[in-house]
Amino acid sequence: MTDRVFLEILDEAAAAPAELPLSRARLLERALIGGGAVIAGGVLLGGLPSTGSTAPSASQDVEILNFALLIEYLQASFYAEALAKGALRRERRRFARIVGSHEQAHASLIDRTLAGKARQKPRFDFSDTTSEQAKFDQTAVVLEEIGLAAYNGQASNLTKAALGTAAKIVSVEARHASWIRAIVGRVPAPDATDQGKSAAQVSSALNQTGFVRS
Amino acid sequence: MAEELTLESVDEDGALAEALSTVSGTRAELLRRVALGGAALLAVTAAPASAAPSRSKDIAILNYALTLEYLQAAFYTEALDLGSLHGALEEQARIVGAHERGHVAALRKTLGGAAVKRPKFNFRGSTESPEAFRKTAVAFEDLAVAAYKGQAPNIQSKAYLMAAISIHSVEARHAAWIRRLAGSLPAAKPFDEPLSDTKVRRIVASTRFIVQTQRKMHPPFTG
Repeated sequence: MTDRVFLEILDEAAAAPAELPLSRARLLERALIGGGAVIAGGVLLGGLPSTGSTAPSASQDVEILNFALLIEYLQASFYAEALAKGALRRERRRFARIVGSHEQAHASLIDRTLAGKARQKPRFDFSDTTSEQAKFDQTAVVLEEIGLAAYNGQASNLTKAALGTAAKIVSVEARHASWIRAIVGRVPAPDATDQGKSAAQVSSALNQTGFVRS
Repeated sequence: MAEELTLESVDEDGALAEALSTVSGTRAELLRRVALGGAALLAVTAAPASAAPSRSKDIAILNYALTLEYLQAAFYTEALDLGSLHGALEEQARIVGAHERGHVAALRKTLGGAAVKRPKFNFRGSTESPEAFRKTAVAFEDLAVAAYKGQAPNIQSKAYLMAAISIHSVEARHAAWIRRLAGSLPAAKPFDEPLSDTKVRRIVASTRFIVQTQRKMHPPFTG
């Protein structure tokens, strides 16, 4: 999927009408029908929160935080690989170093919060998005926007305590999104509000990147 | 934003602190106690109390947000009107100012007749030069992030929470944007900590940017 414009996917997801909560089975079915050809070697994301109508609860927090943990692992691994490949210069390298350390700190905090209920870190394949600057730019913008939209989309499904934790993270994701957008010459804050995306929308976008391999 | 004028220095007899510690005080009492210029923000927005009924508590929180948005919107508008900014800073002020005015409009619409009125401002030179503008804008945007974050978990209504959350992250984008233009790290720390309403009010009061609040308003704290 590395040659596709990820933003188009995100834009399509953004344009989709508000969805009813989907069961995990429905999610998988939809992904298979809608994105099966694109996944091409990636794996479907399982264990996604099927939230939207149920009241916040500790068990729902575990689902949502595990979903957030996956995104943090994805972001952290992306920046670590880009730095290891040495393709980034100047402000991009500084961005990747600092933001990468933030994503690792987020993953650690969520992992600790989940105690023994945290998911394992998956394997990722970022292909050439971590070695070519133009692809890095595009991918970093999308990963930060996805992370931000995922957190905003789940805010009202979290218990008060978990919301407090997520809120400390989400504004940092927004800073990252703004920063990388500025670096690549896009408007850092294009809209007056950041509308959240549902778990289905986020997982669909992630599935289509093919980055998650196990 | 240095805390040149703290709540303590304004509020020598402790009346403001006492008023802030409860929502049970009547409006007349509160207004009698709160007559000092820089602390006028304190008069128009009641402190959200932990045990208050959800509706009036949500209104108090939204009015608190509205006051911060009025402040930011007026700041950007004035800087642009004065022609103090050029290039990237002007673009930032134009776009961010439009967002803040949008937030004002959305909050006013949501609050309807319960919305607090726009205060009068004196930005004391901070809109008149790029240097002062940058410094103040960084402080405002970082403060807004911390203020929304401090109150979001206290919002009872799901719709209001989603609205506040959708604004909160835009304030963080603004903060990162202006920090970069000011030569600071856009994202300096892995976690953004919240600030209590009391702390936020204290910081705003210390600026003396709010010079007058209009008295004709529905007090959010009496329902």
